[in-house]
Amino acid sequence: MLRMQNLNKVYRTHMIETHALRGFEINVKQGEFVTVTGPSGSGKTSFLNIAGLLEEFTDGEYILDGINVKGMDDNARSRLRNEKLGFIFQGFNLIPDLSLFDNVDVPLRYRGFNAAERKERIEDALAKVGLASRMKHYPAELSGGQQQRVAIARALAGSPKLLLADEPTGNLDTQMARGVMELLEEINAQGTTILMVTHDPELAVRSQRNVHIIDGQVSDLVRKAPTLFDANAHADGKTHVA
Amino acid sequence: MFQYYFVLGLRSLRRNPALTALMVLTLAVGVAASVATLTILHVMSGDPIPHKSDRLFVPLVDNGPVQSYKPGDEPNDNQLSYTDAKNFLNSKAAERATAIYGASVAVEPERKDIGVFTTRGLAVASDYFNMFDAPFRHGQAWSPADDKAAANVVVLGRKLADKLYGDTDPVGKRITLSGKQYQIVGVLDKWTVVPRFHRIIGSADGAFSDEDDMFVPFTTSIRNEMQRNGSTSCTDDISPGYQAFLDSECTWIQFWFETRSASDRASLQNYLDSYAAEQRKLGRLKRNAANRLYDVREWLDFMKVVGNDNKLSAWLAFGFLVLCLVNTIGLLLAKFSVRAAEVGIRRALGASRREIFQQFLIETTVVGLVGGVLGLALAFGALALIAMQSTALTVVAHMDWIMLLTTFAMAVLSAVLAGLLPTWRACQVTPAMQLKSQ
Repeated sequence: MLRMQNLNKVYRTHMIETHALRGFEINVKQGEFVTVTGPSGSGKTSFLNIAGLLEEFTDGEYILDGINVKGMDDNARSRLRNEKLGFIFQGFNLIPDLSLFDNVDVPLRYRGFNAAERKERIEDALAKVGLASRMKHYPAELSGGQQQRVAIARALAGSPKLLLADEPTGNLDTQMARGVMELLEEINAQGTTILMVTHDPELAVRSQRNVHIIDGQVSDLVRKAPTLFDANAHADGKTHVA
Repeated sequence: MFQYYFVLGLRSLRRNPALTALMVLTLAVGVAASVATLTILHVMSGDPIPHKSDRLFVPLVDNGPVQSYKPGDEPNDNQLSYTDAKNFLNSKAAERATAIYGASVAVEPERKDIGVFTTRGLAVASDYFNMFDAPFRHGQAWSPADDKAAANVVVLGRKLADKLYGDTDPVGKRITLSGKQYQIVGVLDKWTVVPRFHRIIGSADGAFSDEDDMFVPFTTSIRNEMQRNGSTSCTDDISPGYQAFLDSECTWIQFWFETRSASDRASLQNYLDSYAAEQRKLGRLKRNAANRLYDVREWLDFMKVVGNDNKLSAWLAFGFLVLCLVNTIGLLLAKFSVRAAEVGIRRALGASRREIFQQFLIETTVVGLVGGVLGLALAFGALALIAMQSTALTVVAHMDWIMLLTTFAMAVLSAVLAGLLPTWRACQVTPAMQLKSQ
């Protein structure tokens, strides 16, 4: 689904060079739920931004769903981002003066779906996160957990292959965080690949695989205990080490 | 996507009402000032008779004294002497011809409730009405035979006819003008020509004066020695008496020829040159100056109908518009800078820079449209204020469809121009940075 090989990201100013990622290697398979952890400044966000085609990398190779993204122009990257990726952010990033319906509508507009298909997808997505009855409401009228659910609905509405989540529970209390995490696991169980940056070790252990980044490099890739959904696949309940 | 962006633009008007109101008002004031001055310039500089403006000609020959003349000097007068006007009328050099001068008469109404009053009109040839497309409400122009016979006939302007006869048709009635009886042969309908090119000299408000009250044959007004009302220029002393005045080289008559086609201009010019040469031989014309023909547009230019002060006003108004645009740019920068987060979100969700550019530019277009509506209202107000300054400005200070559309086009174009820099800046937002900072 996502493969980076010997990828480097260097931020340059006229004074200094900062190597955010160096010789970065990762391979995420279709349907995986991968968490990304690491200390602050380790390169997690740079990795996620490059994976989400929000930033360009300096050199190396990045293949997204079989497409080499190197050298793509802004239009092509935007189209690919719209078709293949969904984003969930720590701060929800809903547009405050749009209703829930219109917020979820945004990526579908750029995709070029007709009105009927957009409506169907929006209603399905909001129903999936349990907010079908509030589609005319505005973000400010919702709790943090509900806003994050709307963000998830927005990310899902376009049927992305890869969901990128940047500390999606970072602004939520424990109960809400649990709800959001369960929702993500459910989405993953339905076949969507998820790549999630988190600081929370508890969440990291719930994923199928945790990628730890230090100084812009992957320090280790460890297969964790199977999740609730993996348990169905691995009936023996044993821990599988990569 | 245009409709989607347009709706977003309408919504964004409500997002920051104070800032939006300020932008719309700034734009509207700039557009209104420009449109108001441009409207006046547009009306003043329009072609008053487009279908034949290249077939109507003013002839000018220089009958000034030889003293103070330097070869190559242009004619320093814009009217003709009676001798030249009479010769031109008799020449048959063109399809139609008319001499014009302002005449002043005392009207003695039959109705006892209206006292004697003085009014102004024109002494013209019978061709005048056809040449300038004068619309008749009743009757018609007098005949060339009336011209020849210097008959006491008159065509009334609608205002004078309304005043004297109300709604009834006065054609055939007799009216006393300065003690002489005239038969009414026609009444003109509303006749608005802007600028009033055929009689720029000598009327109270120049090219933008009101309709004339009455028209009498040129030959009749001469025979009856009707009092002149206009501009007269004499370089020599004149002997006493009306005939001496007619025989003098004083210039006081305006003249127009109408040719069958624009290409007949050359033959008319030949006639004018031959005529001037002949008059020089006779010793009447003393200067060897060029003989000029001006078509309608050239005549308006020559007479500086659109003065430099009008042009300067328009430039100043446009300068003010630029100032308003600079302010709008600043306001738009402020408005869009708080939208950086939204740009980041939209970019993450699949909007390209081009789509962000379109969205924000359409938003500024919406601001421009609202500014256009308000600007139009302000422009109407400004024109009403201008019209209150003088009668001449009343004629020119009105908006037509062209200017109405120009107002909207100007408002939208101004908004789009003002929006280019803020929109470009919005497109440069780094989405990753905005998304993380939320």
